[in-house]
Amino acid sequence: MRPTTRPSSARAPASLREPRIQPMKPSAVSKRKLKESSAESAESISQVQKILRERFCHHCAAGKLFGMEQQYRHLLELLKRTTVHGESNSALIIGPRGSGKTTLLNHVLKDLREMKQVRENLLEVHLNGKAPVQSDVQKGKKLCKAGKGGKFLVGEKDNCQLFMRNPFLSGLLQTNDKVALKEITRQLQLENVVGDKVFGSFAENLAFLLEALRKGDRTSSCPILFVLDEFDLFVHHKNQTLLYNLFDISQSAQTPVTVIGLTCRQDILELLEKRVKSRFSHRQIYLMNSFDFKQYIKIFKKQLSLPDEFPDESFAQKWNNNVQHLSEDKTVQDVLQKLFHHTKDLRSLHLLLMLAGSAVTVHHPLLTAADLQEASRQHSTDCKANIVHGLSVLEICLIIAMKHLNEVYDGEPFNFQMVYNEFQKFIQRKAHSMYNFEKPVVMKAFEHLLQLELVQPLERPSVRAQREYLLMKLLLDSSQIMEALQVYPNCPTDVKQWAASSLSWL
Amino acid sequence: TPRNATPEIPRRIQAAQEPASVLEEARLRLHVSAIPESLPCREEEFQDIYNFVESKLIDGTGGCMYISGVPGTGKTATVHEVIRCLQQAAEDEELPPFQFVEINGMKLTDPHQAYVQILEFLTGQKVTAAHAAVLLAKLFSTPGPKRKTTVLVVDELDLLWTRKQNVMYNLFDWPTQKHSKLIILAIANTMDLPERIMMNRVASRLGLTRMSFQPYTYKQLQQIVSSRLKGVKAFEEDAVQLVSRKVAALSGDARRCLDICRRATEICEFARQNRTPEIVRMAHVTEAIDEMFSSPYVNAIRNASLHEQIFLKAILAEFRRAGVEEATVQQIYHHFVALCRVEGLQSPTVSEIMAICSRLGACRLLLVEATNKYLHMRVRLNLSQDDVLYALREE
Repeated sequence: MRPTTRPSSARAPASLREPRIQPMKPSAVSKRKLKESSAESAESISQVQKILRERFCHHCAAGKLFGMEQQYRHLLELLKRTTVHGESNSALIIGPRGSGKTTLLNHVLKDLREMKQVRENLLEVHLNGKAPVQSDVQKGKKLCKAGKGGKFLVGEKDNCQLFMRNPFLSGLLQTNDKVALKEITRQLQLENVVGDKVFGSFAENLAFLLEALRKGDRTSSCPILFVLDEFDLFVHHKNQTLLYNLFDISQSAQTPVTVIGLTCRQDILELLEKRVKSRFSHRQIYLMNSFDFKQYIKIFKKQLSLPDEFPDESFAQKWNNNVQHLSEDKTVQDVLQKLFHHTKDLRSLHLLLMLAGSAVTVHHPLLTAADLQEASRQHSTDCKANIVHGLSVLEICLIIAMKHLNEVYDGEPFNFQMVYNEFQKFIQRKAHSMYNFEKPVVMKAFEHLLQLELVQPLERPSVRAQREYLLMKLLLDSSQIMEALQVYPNCPTDVKQWAASSLSWL
Repeated sequence: TPRNATPEIPRRIQAAQEPASVLEEARLRLHVSAIPESLPCREEEFQDIYNFVESKLIDGTGGCMYISGVPGTGKTATVHEVIRCLQQAAEDEELPPFQFVEINGMKLTDPHQAYVQILEFLTGQKVTAAHAAVLLAKLFSTPGPKRKTTVLVVDELDLLWTRKQNVMYNLFDWPTQKHSKLIILAIANTMDLPERIMMNRVASRLGLTRMSFQPYTYKQLQQIVSSRLKGVKAFEEDAVQLVSRKVAALSGDARRCLDICRRATEICEFARQNRTPEIVRMAHVTEAIDEMFSSPYVNAIRNASLHEQIFLKAILAEFRRAGVEEATVQQIYHHFVALCRVEGLQSPTVSEIMAICSRLGACRLLLVEATNKYLHMRVRLNLSQDDVLYALREE
């Protein structure tokens, strides 16, 4: 729901505010018509919400790829050769977080599945993510059986060629080689798998898998694609056994495998052991967010506009026109520029658009610049400053005392006693007696600050050390404190003055 | 558990396509897995190993040989070739017949699993590691009149190290026994491995028969590539030479050389227009080399967002001020605010600065401490200051 007090929409130009009045117009015509049209727009609004939510929250593969045509082609060719020629390969996709590594891979896999299978069973086109892997395998098995039966169309035979399995492995789930190995065996449906259970010890599993892979050869066995998500975590496994074996298979005349690793670390090759590194083919695909602001605006437009197949065409057109207007608007460009300067990754753009998009309701069907500004404001607030706003005056006083200690002693750590003394000086010389609290109360306030992690003990608190004499550090910068004080509601004047000058109590 | 399961990957329905063009043919031959019948440039090493094993076979005694060399110098391939030739000779009844067993330290989950695998190769029994050790010791110490000689290849020897070194000790102790008829070829990367990690009694049993594989020189690499491409005109002569020289200067790893050549054929295929046959030229090879060897950091910095770049500048400024290559976020923050003021930008909040810092830390341009220290988190650069300056200056 929208807050009742919206930030002044007067800042938005008149042309942008206009559409908001539009849905109200029919009210003059007749009551029935109003009911119809509002129901209709409610329908489209919920449609819009659904589309945007899918786009921003689910990160589905349906969207377009931005600025990675070359990488796309490289990866597609690589995987195509694996399936068609049975060539073994290994590659790493490297890029900062949110640069579309998984999206790129999903796109390639999707297009790859379409390429040959689209003629026969359209059912398979919709497969994506982790679940379809299973059904893919089962479908393949069914086809194999059908093939043995003898009655088999030539066209269908073609399709089986692309029957490829892709175990998805994530370094976060498969935390050691044992788990990873079980997962591989399970997804490959080898003979030691019954149901979803893998039998045998770790050593047996490894021997079994390697034996199975050793028996295959380039021309006749089914190629396997290994996708290692969070590749940098696999590097920390003991002896890098899994990586060594996967790369070793890809470099020897066994079952054709392609190993694709996804990682955000630029120094990934330095983490590999030298025999593992030697077996890796040093094929690196970099995704770098290498677009400029103009393209960023274009991405913004693309991400926000409705697709052509939207049911209510007139609304879609209105929406898209509005998006076009927005992208040319100065305030919107400022908002986007700010975000662009901050980070280029598209996930934060999605977050911003999601925040703004959630403001769209029946009474407010089109996005305005003010929505985006509000979203940007929410997006960029300082969380520590927000915590300071919620503190009591005594706690604020303690923070100011710590700030003074930091200034006087140049960032040296302090303990509660020093802070208390500083606070006492303030009360005795300057302030009225109304802040003259007992020491236990001040201690309580100090401990509250400790719990909020605005101060942090220098070393672990041991049982022996007394609470008053533990050395602490303040986790706020003085500029943060001053800014927070400016907006602190009902801040006493003498406290403000004390904060401004560390010498004022003299 | 299905005891007698035969491990197998399903077969593909349609056979793999055969190479259609010259470049595809070349790519197939250049794949690391396509090991040729006889290895070029390793004739001497081949002969040495062959002679060693042959003499032991004829004498009916046991022995050890230690083979070392950096990765990608053809150790395992040469040993396999020797074994293949010996098996051929044994079939022709020029040599007494022998058994061949291979284990690889990297393919074992635990050093003691070596016993299990050796026993399974020799007798087909599946037992636990402790039991297998006992059985093997008995097997090799008791005289068996009809026992064949066993050639055991131990790859990645350094991974069989345990604290008590009993696995290594046993492996090298068996050949010294009178009736064992065991010949061991141990392969590892470092030349001084026996002196470095082995106890004296293990090193002494390993003996002094050692061989080290030198990294390939550029001429040898060139010969390797051209021998694989015999009869296929896909590469310019100079292009192969460039690759060989680059790789030889860096590591002398034959795998790397073949991978670069393979990548160059792909680049060539991308670049060519309408199906005219094309051969791999200098430009393609240069591109492939750049792709594989260039440092990613500079590119990453150039594509970073403006504030991330300013953050890096602020780090440099703080390093210059303090003269130490480490700074806290708080110190950097003050420089950051100043730099933003100079550039006329609105300076971001501390939360955003922390986000920038952790993003740069995640892609390892920076090395950062755990984030719970907030402003007192210490930051270092993961690359040299000169690289950062170079990346930031060229705009």
